[in-house]
Amino acid sequence: MTESNKVLTKKDITKLAIYSSLLQASFNYERMQAGGFTLAQLPFLKKIYKDDKKGLSEAMKDNLEFINTHPNLVGFLMGLLLSLEENRESREVIRGLKIALFGPLAGIGDAIFWFTLLPIMVGISASFAMQGSLIGPILFFAVYLGIWLLRIPLTHLGYTLGVSAIDFIKEQSKVFSKAASILGVTVIGGLIAKYVHIEVLTKIPVSEGHVISLQTDFFDKIFPNILPLGYTLLMFYLLKEKRVNPVILILITFIMAIFFSYLGVL
Amino acid sequence: MESITLTQALLLTLMAIIVGIDFWLEAFFLFRPIIVGTLTGLILGDVHTGLIAGGLTELAFAGLTPAGGTQPPNPVLAGLMTTVIAFTTGTDPKTAIGLALPFSFLMQYILLFYYSSFSLFMARADKYAEEANVKGLVKINVITTLIVAISYGIVVFLSVYVAQDLMKTIVQSMPAWLAHGFEVAGGILPAVGFGMLLRVMMKAEYIPYFIIGFFIATFLPFSNLLPVAVIGVALALYEYFRTKEHPALYNNVIASKGDGYDDGI
Repeated sequence: MTESNKVLTKKDITKLAIYSSLLQASFNYERMQAGGFTLAQLPFLKKIYKDDKKGLSEAMKDNLEFINTHPNLVGFLMGLLLSLEENRESREVIRGLKIALFGPLAGIGDAIFWFTLLPIMVGISASFAMQGSLIGPILFFAVYLGIWLLRIPLTHLGYTLGVSAIDFIKEQSKVFSKAASILGVTVIGGLIAKYVHIEVLTKIPVSEGHVISLQTDFFDKIFPNILPLGYTLLMFYLLKEKRVNPVILILITFIMAIFFSYLGVL
Repeated sequence: MESITLTQALLLTLMAIIVGIDFWLEAFFLFRPIIVGTLTGLILGDVHTGLIAGGLTELAFAGLTPAGGTQPPNPVLAGLMTTVIAFTTGTDPKTAIGLALPFSFLMQYILLFYYSSFSLFMARADKYAEEANVKGLVKINVITTLIVAISYGIVVFLSVYVAQDLMKTIVQSMPAWLAHGFEVAGGILPAVGFGMLLRVMMKAEYIPYFIIGFFIATFLPFSNLLPVAVIGVALALYEYFRTKEHPALYNNVIASKGDGYDDGI
């Protein structure tokens, strides 16, 4: 890398770690954390792109794409991506890495923070609290404050790793983008199976005392997740081939969900 | 029977706004019932009840996490109302947990509604990104967070001071299909986001990887996407080495501008 590209200071990266707390500021089901993810990086993207409106716009557009990762670990990802932005890596590389990394980070974060640490902390602090001791909530607060502070070294780590990986990435950029896209598309396939939930509640009586549940006896046995897959591909088709506005698709989805809920189908 | 003074109600409202924003951002974990219950107890001048109610609610809520994208019953209202109900009515905090649940559900539904409807802000965000309008994007994030904060303030003030009974009736009389409809919509909406991602990334040559990722996540009984990501890495490495070892393929990839189907095999 060339030193002249370097505009972000250590202090900036520490600030980035603190701003990463805003990840979910405009959380929504369509893009999940995309708004806050962009927001936290904006001051630094601005510093990198300065008067280059087009570059800044491209970076903002990329960051506004769907992302759902773990708030405690996102600083690592932001640090890494900003080091790539700083070196003006191609948009495909930056986007590919982002998409490849956010899912695994979410998985690791959920496993560590929600499924391991929380039950342990609840067990310890609730038992203190129920004896009327303030140690319970204080201990709980202290541990989670410590975890929040971990964002700072994690963000620095992401940034440093990104810088040292750049020469390698640059040399291999095209081949690397293809590999990153493959990883990204694989993960998107998995995301559809994990995050899109459509469960049909309809039950069909076939004979006396015998009913067939469309979901558990039919879809789940023949092709689990076929409805989430089908609906996502329908959205993909409408967005790409028919150029339908995503807002329309959201509204239709919303109305349809309430309507089918009313009928008892979903 | 204790009653809540206006000052206490206002302090509780302020506290709920702060921890409510923390729940929205998932930053400091002040939103967990153990902290909320204790703070509520402090404001009401009965820390002991707050600690016990907070501890009990925390245990009840330990398994209810937003991991994986599902919104659990709201922990802020659960911790707060369990303590308030135990304090004002003198009921056992164990019973108060159940009485506080409608309030917890009400806040959950409100957030579910926001999770869905805030999707509408994203078109505006795209426009701001197009124009490189930094201020506009900041504004969107401020507005959404403010809406959430104000909602917490209103719900808590109404619940603890103005109309505790009325609120409970409303929650209980909300038609189940409407509440359920919000949940269903929440489950389906990510499909639109993934559709948009696919629009950007998908090429004919990537279809096999898409199928592999989908089927692994469908059939592996694993709570997160790590196995999919690991297999994705393996596939990416395989393609990477294969491309590097075959100069013809390598040149093909280098020469292609990143679009178009390559049939170099």
